[in-house]
Amino acid sequence: MKVIRLGAVATFVLGGSALLLVSPPARAVASFARQTGLACASCHTVPPELTAFGRRFKLNGYTLTARPPLVSDIDEHKRNTVWLTDIPGISILLQATYNHYDKAPPDSTQPYPAQAQSDTLQFPQQLSFMYAGAVSDHFGAWLQVTYLQNTGSIGIDNSEVRYADHTADDKWLWGAFLNNNPSMQDVWATEEAFGVPYFPTQTLWSAVQPIDGATLRVPLFTTFPGFAAGVGAYTWYNDSWYLELSDYKAAKSGSVSATLDSSNLPFGGGTIDGFAPYWRAAYERDWGYHSAMIGTSGMYVKFEPYEFLEQTINPGYVNRYTDLSVDWQYQYNGEHNIFTFLGHHTYETQSNAAALVPMYFTNSTDHLSETQITAEYYRDRHFGGMVSFHRTTGSNDVAFNGGTGSPDNQYEVFELDYLPWFNVRFILQYNVYQVVNNNQNPFFLRGWPNPQASSNNTFVLGLWMDF
Amino acid sequence: MRRLAGTSLIVAATALAATIIRDAPAEPVVVPPDPSAWDAPTLVSNVCSKCHGASGRSISPLFPNLASQQTSYIEAQLKLFRQRGRSDPHARAFMWGMARALSDDQIEALARYFASQPPARGTVSSNPALTERGKSIYEKGVPERGVIACMTCHGPNAEGQGDNAFPRLAGQHRDYLILQLRYFHALLRENAVMQGVAATITDDDIAAVAEYLSSK
Repeated sequence: MKVIRLGAVATFVLGGSALLLVSPPARAVASFARQTGLACASCHTVPPELTAFGRRFKLNGYTLTARPPLVSDIDEHKRNTVWLTDIPGISILLQATYNHYDKAPPDSTQPYPAQAQSDTLQFPQQLSFMYAGAVSDHFGAWLQVTYLQNTGSIGIDNSEVRYADHTADDKWLWGAFLNNNPSMQDVWATEEAFGVPYFPTQTLWSAVQPIDGATLRVPLFTTFPGFAAGVGAYTWYNDSWYLELSDYKAAKSGSVSATLDSSNLPFGGGTIDGFAPYWRAAYERDWGYHSAMIGTSGMYVKFEPYEFLEQTINPGYVNRYTDLSVDWQYQYNGEHNIFTFLGHHTYETQSNAAALVPMYFTNSTDHLSETQITAEYYRDRHFGGMVSFHRTTGSNDVAFNGGTGSPDNQYEVFELDYLPWFNVRFILQYNVYQVVNNNQNPFFLRGWPNPQASSNNTFVLGLWMDF
Repeated sequence: MRRLAGTSLIVAATALAATIIRDAPAEPVVVPPDPSAWDAPTLVSNVCSKCHGASGRSISPLFPNLASQQTSYIEAQLKLFRQRGRSDPHARAFMWGMARALSDDQIEALARYFASQPPARGTVSSNPALTERGKSIYEKGVPERGVIACMTCHGPNAEGQGDNAFPRLAGQHRDYLILQLRYFHALLRENAVMQGVAATITDDDIAAVAEYLSSK
């Protein structure tokens, strides 16, 4: 049966070359500390998670400082025409890992039974250079360039510029941003960008660093890091209410396209048709050492599967995705003990173009549900760890998902951390898989008989540094 | 074309919203380029208010209320932060950085600004027995353990005493007071008088006196 599986094709196309450079770790950056003179603990429980104050720092456009600028000028109305800090916001992030896979993964170029090594040591697994800090008195930037050992390539990682201002009584704050990753702007980070796991390891599955072209099915809106650009505006009222509306666009193939090469397309193998609106609302309450947030977000995407992009003259077929999430975060940020409980549930409705059913999609409407629940505990910001539960279920679509047609997966991440200093972290992590759909299982993809989910279990020893 | 129209609509709505907010009664913030030239309201609006509130009444009880605080106390503390002479954990994490570039004039102006704000109202205590015990400690001390009465320095109404830079404590956040007393007890915050007073104080005493003062 030689039916092209859209998902399978996409995952293979993405393998190997995988220009998936956007990676979630580390928004704790040393340059913010240099700019503000604040200790990391002001803004972070444990990096990269933000405290209530850290969230306000980001909402204020990364500009907060009481330090005089090195260069400044004003016009006749006493408005700033230039405002440059004395210390440029340069930071370096380094991540190195030793990985051990429960079973040596299948060789990425040879058929069964060729195997690759089950142990890898990567120094660095990832190295980022970035500017993070104020650009003017109301304008800030987070621009990250990352080298990934896995792909041997350097590319643009999470990047954002942000404007913010507020009323004199600070009741109302408003801002606008331009970034390349829907949810990068978020200050609670319960979704994809900067989300859990904070320390992405080179699992067989990691959606950001696949080593065999396999990625777990995730909601579509989380697959655009680096492939889309968007503008958004937000407001923050009375230190509790957050409201945001943004709009994302991605390139199509064509003579002036940035994504002529289909390997540049996000997982799912396609691109945004027109603009895709993203929205976010949240309510936060802080009391004592506690902080709690409940929120919702969503994105509507008209998505053009890449097989049909060539038909841009006669507009290609479009599937419509609606992603709706609820998310929450509870933080206890005590003098010695830090506890965080956070997570999200996302429900995706995928309405497939009639012309593509049943050849490429078995169903005219598919669903996907994703749940992530994470609990973290740290003592004195030196020792701690986290347990994170991830589960995805969805409608059975053999033509789209391949294999058995199921997009289901389920895994947990167990992590122990030791931070001798706040910007140096040793990580011991174990990823345990109970369900991995065949079509996303590298063992299955490489023709192994009876592929087991547990074969993908990964043990990681990691080092993270930021300076 | 429709897409463009939709996008234009969103951009226009956003711009409109920003304009409406901008046109709110609050004065536009015209910020001189150099924070060292900022006056007190500008400093408060751009920096201090993020934790202490624009009028010196903070939302989070971990950050102290500064409204109606003694001018001399605020001045003394800001200068201590600037020279890194007060080194409890929160001072290091937040105030060392915030105060490092303040001039003497700015410190004085900030102190005057906060001192002139109406005080935070005390929170209603849900534990009258504890409040009563705190009142007793505040007014009479704990003689058997050598804890002197707080009132001696901080005044009968806990409004502080400007001449000696003794701070106002009335209406201060309970959690903040507890934290400071613990810092003094553990010698984490420098102040010879308060370290002495807090040397033999117990957690129960601290909870009681903080409950009383936060309700004042």
